[in-house]
Amino acid sequence: MAAVESSLPPGTPSAMRNAFGTVLSALILVLIGVLAFSIRLFSVIKYESVIHEFDPYFNYRVTQFLSKNGIYEFWNWFDDRTWYPLGRVIGGTVYPGLTLTAGTIWWVLNSINIPLSVETVCVFTAPVFSAFASWATYLLTKEVKGSGAGLAAAALLAMVPSYISRSVAGSYDNEAVAIFALIFTFYLYIKTLNTGSLFYATLNAIAYFYMVCSWGGYTFIINLIPMHVLLCIVTGRYSPRLYIAYAPLVVLGTLLAALVPVVGFNAVLTSEHFASFLVFIIIHVVALVYYIKGILTPKMFKVAVTLVVSIGLVVCLIVVAVLVALVASSPTGGWSGRSLSLLDPTYASKYIPIIASVSEHQPPTWPSYFMDINVLAFLVPAGIIACFSPLSDASSFVVLYIVMSVYFSGVMVRLMLVLAPAACIMSGIALSQAFDVFTGSIKYQLSSNSKDDAEDNTTTKNAPKDDAASGKTDKGEEVAKERSSKKGKKKEREPADKPSVKSKIVKKKALVLPLETSIVALLLLIMLGAFYVIHCVWAAAEAYSAPSIVLTSKSHDGLHVFDDFRESYAWLSHNTDVDDKVASWWDYGYQTTAMANRTVIVDNNTWNNTHIATVGTAMSSPEKAAWEIFNSLDVKYVLVVFGGVIGYPSDDINKFLWMVRIGGGVFPHIKEADYLRDGQYRIDSEATPTMLNCLMYKLCYYRFVETDGKGYDRVRRTEIGKKHFKLTHFEEVFTSHHWMVRIYKLKPQKNRIRGRAKKLKLKTSSGVSSKSAKKNPWM
Amino acid sequence: MAINKKLLSLLLLVSSLSSIALSSSSFSDPDSDSDLTNELVSLRSNSESGVIHLDDHGISKFLISSPTPRPYSILVFFDATQLHSKTELRLQELRREFHLLSATFLAANNNGSDLNKLFFCEIEFSQSQSSFKRFNVNALPHIRLVTASTSKLTDESGQMDQSDFSRLAESMAEFVEQRTKLTVGPIQRPPLLSKPQISVIVAMIVVAAPFVVKRILRGETLLHDHRLWLSGAIFVYFFSVAGTMHNIIRKMPMFLQDRNDPNKLVFFYQGSGMQLGAEGFAVGFLYTVVGLLLAFVTNVLVRVGNVNVQRLVMLVALVVSSWAVKQVVYLDNWKTGYGIHPYWPSSWQ
Repeated sequence: MAAVESSLPPGTPSAMRNAFGTVLSALILVLIGVLAFSIRLFSVIKYESVIHEFDPYFNYRVTQFLSKNGIYEFWNWFDDRTWYPLGRVIGGTVYPGLTLTAGTIWWVLNSINIPLSVETVCVFTAPVFSAFASWATYLLTKEVKGSGAGLAAAALLAMVPSYISRSVAGSYDNEAVAIFALIFTFYLYIKTLNTGSLFYATLNAIAYFYMVCSWGGYTFIINLIPMHVLLCIVTGRYSPRLYIAYAPLVVLGTLLAALVPVVGFNAVLTSEHFASFLVFIIIHVVALVYYIKGILTPKMFKVAVTLVVSIGLVVCLIVVAVLVALVASSPTGGWSGRSLSLLDPTYASKYIPIIASVSEHQPPTWPSYFMDINVLAFLVPAGIIACFSPLSDASSFVVLYIVMSVYFSGVMVRLMLVLAPAACIMSGIALSQAFDVFTGSIKYQLSSNSKDDAEDNTTTKNAPKDDAASGKTDKGEEVAKERSSKKGKKKEREPADKPSVKSKIVKKKALVLPLETSIVALLLLIMLGAFYVIHCVWAAAEAYSAPSIVLTSKSHDGLHVFDDFRESYAWLSHNTDVDDKVASWWDYGYQTTAMANRTVIVDNNTWNNTHIATVGTAMSSPEKAAWEIFNSLDVKYVLVVFGGVIGYPSDDINKFLWMVRIGGGVFPHIKEADYLRDGQYRIDSEATPTMLNCLMYKLCYYRFVETDGKGYDRVRRTEIGKKHFKLTHFEEVFTSHHWMVRIYKLKPQKNRIRGRAKKLKLKTSSGVSSKSAKKNPWM
Repeated sequence: MAINKKLLSLLLLVSSLSSIALSSSSFSDPDSDSDLTNELVSLRSNSESGVIHLDDHGISKFLISSPTPRPYSILVFFDATQLHSKTELRLQELRREFHLLSATFLAANNNGSDLNKLFFCEIEFSQSQSSFKRFNVNALPHIRLVTASTSKLTDESGQMDQSDFSRLAESMAEFVEQRTKLTVGPIQRPPLLSKPQISVIVAMIVVAAPFVVKRILRGETLLHDHRLWLSGAIFVYFFSVAGTMHNIIRKMPMFLQDRNDPNKLVFFYQGSGMQLGAEGFAVGFLYTVVGLLLAFVTNVLVRVGNVNVQRLVMLVALVVSSWAVKQVVYLDNWKTGYGIHPYWPSSWQ
């Protein structure tokens, strides 16, 4: 925008218009920021200012630690309250970007005497960063197709449901800041590519560093940018600007990435990063070729080309051989499980149940796209085509971005989040182009009808319009207007595109559509946009705002609130000893440590499969064997989540098969088939004896029959199979108001003498069981 | 194959003669046991992967008339050529895996003492129908382990479950190892390309590379064609939003047969977690067509001179686009119960 103004002499009408445009688009950007922030506040309004779900509780706990103890303590933090008895080195295993960001915000606010609590800062970090992300989208799209498209894309991103789902107030997770970092890194890359400025290249490396700090998804960047560079080279678009955009990023970026403890030497050792190094070598070879081409005569160059190509090939082959050797020496080929399941989508379901078990790692069906990017799904193809006419370095990058992200989103529903910005950019470009054409046609037809003067067209068409008042058409106006300034800018910046742009302007005189159909098309587009807005507001309000720590349900007699989780965690923190160990399935680990401040065995950071499998085995074993396992882990309380009374479907009984699978993956005596009747998972009278006797069944359904006299499970919609039974090794100590959380205490060991004779006999038994058998008084 | 069959019938003839001759001898004669084993070994050596093709005679000889406990176990694969065309049974795939399992077992126990304790056999339905009856096999795919102590062929305890060949040869090997206590060893699949093939390909790449690089430098390849990239990008987009990856990973069919009415085909599945192939492509098409029409109107149609053509084409495009959007909303509503509502100010109501 500044470039446009400086290029025009001040005082002329068009300079005035541009100044007005700058102010107007700044105002619109502020409004977009407000929109992005406020649409994410539904969760606070409908529920309360509370941290959501599971992972955010861990981040919140880390932030609390950081704000209390300072950064050095945080860096060296060894957490002994989780993964008992192993513990976890938090400083070295966590992406610190989010925590440091929120910690910094809290520190700045406090030092200027705004006394917000850490929790408040954490709750509102995500909405604030969504505003930043939409501004970054504006910048990125402006670099690609001008500020009109930029504004449209920013407005779309501000309310795209996919992004809302991960960034509502209270959803304090890595993705909240990472999407901003992702878009901003891409913007700086494109900016460097367009300007060839080392300043932006350095900023780009720093933005990449921030991204590496924030999210494991940074590997998407470090593979996408090399791919784009390679694409540019292959299609003959190499330029010194490309070199400046890429080489500093690889060198500085890799060095900086290695500074993050959780990445460390992975930045140079794992296959995810090899593509960037390979392209780094290729771009040097190509740069050399271009340099030699410049200093030699064409004839000499032909001779030289053979030489250089052969040397370059040899170097490449050697490097490839080294890489292959390195990759082959590691068991998974140097790829992490999650990345492998992207390349070979069937990988995870075959080999890694713990990845396959997470619902956000499932492949999406078509309704997911409609839910998460809504009408953008219709507009993206038009955006792709718009990017091809004409194709520039920048537009080829966004095309590559959408293609890669849409493919990856097809493999894992979680990566829909990476697709969302790309879809917004593409749709912004498409909308901007469509509004440009339609409003231009209307303007042309109207003015030619009234004046019958064909020569006046170009100027009137490029002038800003001031009809129509709805929000969408506001954008349309912008689109029409800003495209003219874009053309001016492009002319001076990209000499390569000059002829095509110029010819387009000349041709544009005749590029109009009939008046009536243009108006209808415009109206339909506005309706489409209105539908998008309604959908997004609805999705933000209804679908994505539930904190999942407090549940509500509406029935004919009003609103019911289920606050059982906090009730139980509060019970734990008030009624148990501070050093007691609580066992539960890993989903509730973070919440237990953060809210109840009790030591847990496993948590949502699923780094140790064996440990999780141990808990899974305990849950799937009969009472006695489970007691042994838990006792060997010093567990004092077992917590299960049960939804059968109120119909809460994501309870432990529904997750139970995964416990069996994960447990059976490490301890083969747990077999999934034992829990299934003819391949069907059931808990009614047809259920297998193994199922009816396992700990999870007993802990969930203990005394359940007392609730209604029949034992009718409202989630499974059936009467349970075994209704009256007693617990021998566990005793119930707490059941929450709606029975959603039930806490049991392990019964203490009885007098040792009683079982002594039998115990001696059992010493011959092998493995884990013999170890724990020593402690078991009942055998 | 023909030679094999001839040889087989010859051997059977010889063996049946000898068995008649030997039938008078004592019941669990170690000599006859070792004879049977030797015969199996020789039969096995005729086959490349070590799978013995048996028919009714072979079954009766090696499994029925032989006294228990036999010195060997036999893993039988039940095959039916007429069912090979039914791909959902995966008979041919399983048969290949079975052969692979056998080859692996042979390789792993090449010199070991366990080599002659387990034999891999297959019988074909059209050749040995009575054996199918004897084994009481009504449905395929079916793999049965007849252990050394199994006396009744109808005893179905040795049957391999669906889950045991779900992961192909690997899970079959686990089953065998579990039941027979023999080691099969890690399954070694033949690599996709053999070593000479790889070296030829590498050599071709090396030779071709300079020419390719030269063409790239000149800018003459297919890769410089924007239309190719454009259609590729649109195709990937269509492919993904249609949920094709879901269909591949979950192995979803294109359509289902209606349970109530077998003549009716079900193309759309109600429920959000799943989709059928045809359904995905239909909606993917609806997703893509709107954008393509919009791009056509804004990029191509504006260049058309004739106003009436413009008017007509735009009208068609608008009708099709709004129909597509409506259709997707309707389908989504039908499939997932999707229903949105705006939030008007309460004073308006």
